[in-house]
Amino acid sequence: MLRYLNLYGWFLMQRFKILMEYRMNFLIGASSTVFIQAAGLLAIWVVMGQIPTLQGWSFDEILLVYGLLTLAKSINHMFADNLWTIGWSYIRSGGFDRFLVRPIDPLFHLLAERFCHDGIGNFLVGAVLVARSSTALGIPWTPLNLFYVVVAVLSGGGIFIALNLITATSAFWIMDSIPLTQIIFNTNDFARFPLTIYNRGIQVVLTWLIPYGFASFYPASFLLGRDIGWLAWASPLVAAILLLISFRVWLFGLRHYSGTGS
Amino acid sequence: MMQALRRSSKMYGAIAAMVPKLYLAYSIWFWMEFVVQILSMTIFVYFWKAVYANSATIAGLDLRQTLNYILLAQILVPVVQNRTIFNFGFLVREGMVGIELLRPMDFQTRYYVESLAGLALSLVLKLPLLLIAWLVFGLTLPSAPAAWGAFALSLLLGQAILFYFDWIFACLAFYSTETWGLSVVREGMALFFSGAILPLNMMPAWLQGVANLLPFAQSLYVPVSFLSGITPVSDAPRAWLVQLVWLVGLVIASRVVFSVSVRKVTVQGG
Repeated sequence: MLRYLNLYGWFLMQRFKILMEYRMNFLIGASSTVFIQAAGLLAIWVVMGQIPTLQGWSFDEILLVYGLLTLAKSINHMFADNLWTIGWSYIRSGGFDRFLVRPIDPLFHLLAERFCHDGIGNFLVGAVLVARSSTALGIPWTPLNLFYVVVAVLSGGGIFIALNLITATSAFWIMDSIPLTQIIFNTNDFARFPLTIYNRGIQVVLTWLIPYGFASFYPASFLLGRDIGWLAWASPLVAAILLLISFRVWLFGLRHYSGTGS
Repeated sequence: MMQALRRSSKMYGAIAAMVPKLYLAYSIWFWMEFVVQILSMTIFVYFWKAVYANSATIAGLDLRQTLNYILLAQILVPVVQNRTIFNFGFLVREGMVGIELLRPMDFQTRYYVESLAGLALSLVLKLPLLLIAWLVFGLTLPSAPAAWGAFALSLLLGQAILFYFDWIFACLAFYSTETWGLSVVREGMALFFSGAILPLNMMPAWLQGVANLLPFAQSLYVPVSFLSGITPVSDAPRAWLVQLVWLVGLVIASRVVFSVSVRKVTVQGG
């Protein structure tokens, strides 16, 4: 474990050396995601200016939901972005074989090889949103709340990574795993808003099947003192189970990997 | 004269015919986009239903009108997506810009034809989505041919406006190699100010002012508001005139900017 942490540090340092070669690109990349976020947020702001609440949720409360989701997403974006391109940039080219002959875990190697700086912008946006909305809503920053937010964000990030890992594993069979990953990944957009605006079926899917609700709606509900029962504490459990399943799926895929011959 | 016209229409026709072939090579991507768009339509519909839960009208629009607008805007959103800057970035990086400029056809017209054909194709490919919007989400379309006429002409004008605007924007690729970041900035602005996520008339006055200073609304909000009944057809001649002014101004500007900035190109080996 310690060895892998140490190794990750080395990978990260190499990656930053590359990124710093093109400083301007680094800055533009890291800040560009902010613009796309801004368009969506501005739209919510405009709409919420016209109505008092969205089914009982104020503008600041929605920002909290949105901010938590953005933070969780940024964890995935920074540390596991390579899962998106495993099909065409590793398996198709045969570059994946390189991972298999090295004395470290191939999944670790894949993830560590590319820290994605574009996620930094998302992380900052999420942090600002959570800080701003919690101040406006008068949520006290007690050690417990702080701990809760950190755990919730890490769990949310774990849920994102696990779902992407499951869909990315399909690359061992079909090469082009991006469409499948994209479809499942995009359902996280539902979790930008309180799940209560959707019908029962969608709520169940986002809680138990593609559990992005645990990255935003449930932790936000807890912080706002809304009664959601034990689900307030389920995020780490859901993330752990999902990560375990995804790792199993990955191992299964790895056993069926036979290379493309290129 | 006639012969020259026939020859050039044949030439540009061949360029236009290439677009569907390129696209259809990637059918799995088509299905991905289809599913992703159904997801995002679903979110929009639930969101707006929740917004209208306690108010009958917002900015003079009722739920039905807003949903019609949003669904149509989602279907027509390809009109604000443009690849010119990627094309320029690619041409510079690969050192092909010189060859492209030497071809015996107008460089800009060639790309205009390609982008128009691309739009036509993506609208045809959106027909299944239109069907879903109609069957599942209750989209209602106007029966008056006049509304469709107003829509069609303003869409055509709007597409051209944005093409020439993007031409100017893409010239930045001759100065900076960071085309991806630039295009993301443009994408974010276009999504918001074109009215792709919400009808512009819901915005506060100052934001509407900004939107009117930018070309994006001309290509999406203006045409879609004819179809969704936000703008009455009697306003069409005025809207067309405004679009025409935009178009003429941008065509001239794009020619000037291109001829100045293309001298800056330093081909990177190729």
